[in-house]
Amino acid sequence: MRRGGRAELSPAQQFLFLRNNLICAGAGTLNHKGLVWNYRSRPTLLSREYGIRIVFERDDVPKIFVKDPDLKQLAGGRDLPHVYRRPTRLCLYLPGSGEWLRHMRIDQTFVPWTATWLYYFEEWLASDEWKGGGEHPAGEEDVAAHRRNVVRDQQ
Amino acid sequence: MNTMPVKNFAMSQSVLRRSDLYGLLEALCDEIELTDAQFEAAKANYEAVGRWLAGAQHNALRLLNIYVHGSTALGTTVKPIGRDEHDVDLICHVPDFSPLRLPSELKRVIGERLRENSVYGAILEEKKRCWRLNYAREFHLDISPTIPNPACMNGGELVPDKKLREWKATNPKGYRAEFERRAGLLPKIRLFKTIVADAQATIAPFPARKKKRGILRRTVQLLKRHRDIYFAAVEADIVPISIIITTLAMQAYEYCVEAFEFDTELDVVIATIRMMPHFIGQDVVAGKRLWVVNNETTNGENFADRWNSEPARAQAFFTWHKQALEDFERFANLEGIDRLTTEIGKALGSKEVSTVFGGRTREISEARSGMKLYVAPTIGLTVTTPARATQVLRNTNFGD
Repeated sequence: MRRGGRAELSPAQQFLFLRNNLICAGAGTLNHKGLVWNYRSRPTLLSREYGIRIVFERDDVPKIFVKDPDLKQLAGGRDLPHVYRRPTRLCLYLPGSGEWLRHMRIDQTFVPWTATWLYYFEEWLASDEWKGGGEHPAGEEDVAAHRRNVVRDQQ
Repeated sequence: MNTMPVKNFAMSQSVLRRSDLYGLLEALCDEIELTDAQFEAAKANYEAVGRWLAGAQHNALRLLNIYVHGSTALGTTVKPIGRDEHDVDLICHVPDFSPLRLPSELKRVIGERLRENSVYGAILEEKKRCWRLNYAREFHLDISPTIPNPACMNGGELVPDKKLREWKATNPKGYRAEFERRAGLLPKIRLFKTIVADAQATIAPFPARKKKRGILRRTVQLLKRHRDIYFAAVEADIVPISIIITTLAMQAYEYCVEAFEFDTELDVVIATIRMMPHFIGQDVVAGKRLWVVNNETTNGENFADRWNSEPARAQAFFTWHKQALEDFERFANLEGIDRLTTEIGKALGSKEVSTVFGGRTREISEARSGMKLYVAPTIGLTVTTPARATQVLRNTNFGD
């Protein structure tokens, strides 16, 4: 499928890009359904090192999971900011905004966004204030719009 | 698969993070020291005080020379805990006053002259050995009278003792020269060589600040701030005095710089702290062990004098020093912005530590919104653009 004149990238192409970018040096698997990529990310030299798993299935959006350390445990009972729940994964772009489109490379979008999210996460642990900006789905209407956007992105 | 030299990668990352942490500690020192503007204001004020004193009727004061000494002269100032005013220590050197006269007399003459001026009179406070001018919310000027020391071949001076009955040897100018000589010694840092060899690495994810005081001054500042917080809740008057910390640090620093090579500046700080107690001397006089931390630039000034009459002071120094060493060693291995903020904040001042980390977050956020933030291998987020960096494209964190 083409969108905006640029070809969307297949999981196999994404896999190659992930494998060749040193900022997400790691290992993964690729099959007919999609890809899984595991790597370790230290958002800055002074930050912790996190185990990251990227799951990208054909016709879906990339999903980012933090495998270790346990974010909830680090948060010590506070609700994590800017995550999708059950299972917990990071909210890294605004659906429908064009920030993520299917011709984009995961290693140039979700990977740097994950580093940024983790930086602001540790900052939040210390200050209790999320300084990374963003939007919250405010009410029923927003949530509905969010769903529509997600669906639209996936088409 | 990526072929990363994993071992080297891990090693250089740990070296780079200690280097980065040193940068943050330097930024912390910038937060706690006398600002250039404060220093200029203090200077303008003490020069005016000097002119006022020299205009006195009293003959002895005519040739006096007022100059800054202590931490302000050394570049090792640290903002006191719980008040806004820095201490700026001044020497009021009076060459025409005979050592045969009583110190109390010289102190009195200076006090009288200051009182004659209504501005100074209103902010004047008498201390045991000096006069203090209180510039509220800015600084104190502490003015100690001295006279020449005819017995010192090294340009030393004499200062009143605590009871103002006798003169004691001192040498502020000689001490300063000795400190500056040592502060100018450059340690051998392996990291810099590695970076030159490996063109792909970039050591500074955040550009360094311009003001460089050197590692010795930073070590002294960090130790003094650590001491201020460590003893903040201690009521007994046993706090290790700055001149002892400074003297031991400068001797230890010189030794370390000459004896060792280091991975990073932070390792120099830690080695210097570790080595300090080795420069505490011990004399045995009449079967009694005496502590000695001599002023190397004149005879007869033992900075640790009071350790001998009050052993609790020596004990306090050693207990504190052990904790300081442990803390700085621990910081070097802490991972996580949150843990560093909390732990360094506890030891060195949470307000200033939050300011420093907040400054870095602002730097990252500004670069991010200006599309000038990158992620590079090994160092992670960076506002510089090293090789093989990936730009952080605009995104919006969504969700709850």
